[in-house]
Amino acid sequence: MSRIVVLGAGISGHVAATHLRRKLSKKHTVTVVSPNSNYQWVPSNIWVGTGRMQPKDIIFPLAPLYKKKGIEYKQAKVVTFHPEGDTEIEKPYILAEYVAGETVGAMEKVTYDYLINATGPKLAFDMTEGLKPATNKAYSVCTYTHATEAWHALDQLIQEMKQGKKKKILIGTGHAKSTCQGAAFEYILNVEQELNRHGVRDMAELTWIANEPQLGDFGMDGMLLSYGSNIMKSSELVEMVFEDRGIKWIIGAGVNKIEDGIAHYETLDGEYHTETYDFTMLIPAFSGHGFKAYDKNNKDITDKLFKGFMIVDADYTPKPYEEWTVQDWPETYQNPSYANIFAPGIAFAPPHAISKPRVSKNGTPISPAPPRTGMPSGITAKLVADNIIDTINNKKPSLRHKGSMGNMGAACIASSGYGITKGSGISITTFPIVPDFNKYPDTYGRRLGKTFGEIGLAGHWLKLALHHAFLYKAKMRPFWWLIPE
Amino acid sequence: MTRRISKTKRFIMMNPIIQFFKFIYLSLKILVIVAGGHGGTRRVDQ
Repeated sequence: MSRIVVLGAGISGHVAATHLRRKLSKKHTVTVVSPNSNYQWVPSNIWVGTGRMQPKDIIFPLAPLYKKKGIEYKQAKVVTFHPEGDTEIEKPYILAEYVAGETVGAMEKVTYDYLINATGPKLAFDMTEGLKPATNKAYSVCTYTHATEAWHALDQLIQEMKQGKKKKILIGTGHAKSTCQGAAFEYILNVEQELNRHGVRDMAELTWIANEPQLGDFGMDGMLLSYGSNIMKSSELVEMVFEDRGIKWIIGAGVNKIEDGIAHYETLDGEYHTETYDFTMLIPAFSGHGFKAYDKNNKDITDKLFKGFMIVDADYTPKPYEEWTVQDWPETYQNPSYANIFAPGIAFAPPHAISKPRVSKNGTPISPAPPRTGMPSGITAKLVADNIIDTINNKKPSLRHKGSMGNMGAACIASSGYGITKGSGISITTFPIVPDFNKYPDTYGRRLGKTFGEIGLAGHWLKLALHHAFLYKAKMRPFWWLIPE
Repeated sequence: MTRRISKTKRFIMMNPIIQFFKFIYLSLKILVIVAGGHGGTRRVDQ
């Protein structure tokens, strides 16, 4: 009998828990420890942020589903890691603190045979002075509550524009090292479409601000892609869309301070600037959760488990950009010190950025951190679950399932407007996510044909279809496992 | 605002009939790319 503890119930944690439960016999226990009571389909938050969906459309409660499917669920947050147990308990455990219900505040040592850390990122708003959702006219769409606040503020702004008041809207990244430019990109295009729908587009000045060195970098160093019969750079594709929609842009910008209606930022040329706004949505920096780990004698061993995020089978040797290779990226997401601990999805520490690091003339690093999207999160969670299942069933360690981001494709279906007949989407598919310059030396490290872009109504339908398909899958409805990650 | 997408191209982008076939094509193409497999990189290149 084995007990597998999954920390987190986001895309990665939920995928791991559901596959483990389906494939392992009931004599084994699958336990999910998560402070969140709801599962949320994060990619649809941008539609909550434009009022086109309600939070109830993208979330569902975890407890009833887990109870029905035989997954143990503890609404608690992990406090510390004890991979060797302690003087009282021989088995490894995590210390969890309950955050809801009658046991709120109570601590429990949750023992495990296998641990999957899928805690995702901490939304580090505090790394940018003054950046806090729903203050200083600044908003976020990172969670459904943030997105709801953003929509209320945007709706108010639209009403004021209808009364003839001109407004400035600023959307992008809120820190010099932010990632997830794709979400901000989707949001600015959806906002632009909503302004059109309400007949106030000409009353708004819409500006993109990002730490990308060029448009379309997306934290992946940009890409060369097929677009129809043409081959173009992602920067050209995004520039075409922004110009066509009248969106201005500021790039190479590290936002460092937010005041009420004023964003302060530094650019790569070392200049300091400000940009005023009436509404802003800025993606914060992501960071690890700052977990601590202890050995059986209560000695701090945090550096064996964490490097900000969790250490896995990556090559973390510091080296210059020119020496980076796809082989640096992890394949099994197993911690090298403790073979029964894994960190798929966003919880693992990347060996380095994907986009070339850049520093301003003042020495400030301004470049995107590696993107962490839902698709690789799901794929890596499933392969981790499959390796644990093989290990348990075969009674010997197995790491047969592998999935490097240097040998994995990802589809980014960026909504650029909602509506069954008026909607639009920009479908960008990349293979591989981490460029392999040895395999594909002439095409920026990616395989053309598998790296392509498409713009149109079909993209919106596709994003909507994925919304429904993945929520169906997450709810473990009949034959849910047939839907790939 | 600068027109960067021609009227013809915009018509193709927003025509539901054309886009229906594009939807089928994109769904299959993305499925092949994403669900078509993944693996390690080290053994292959070493």
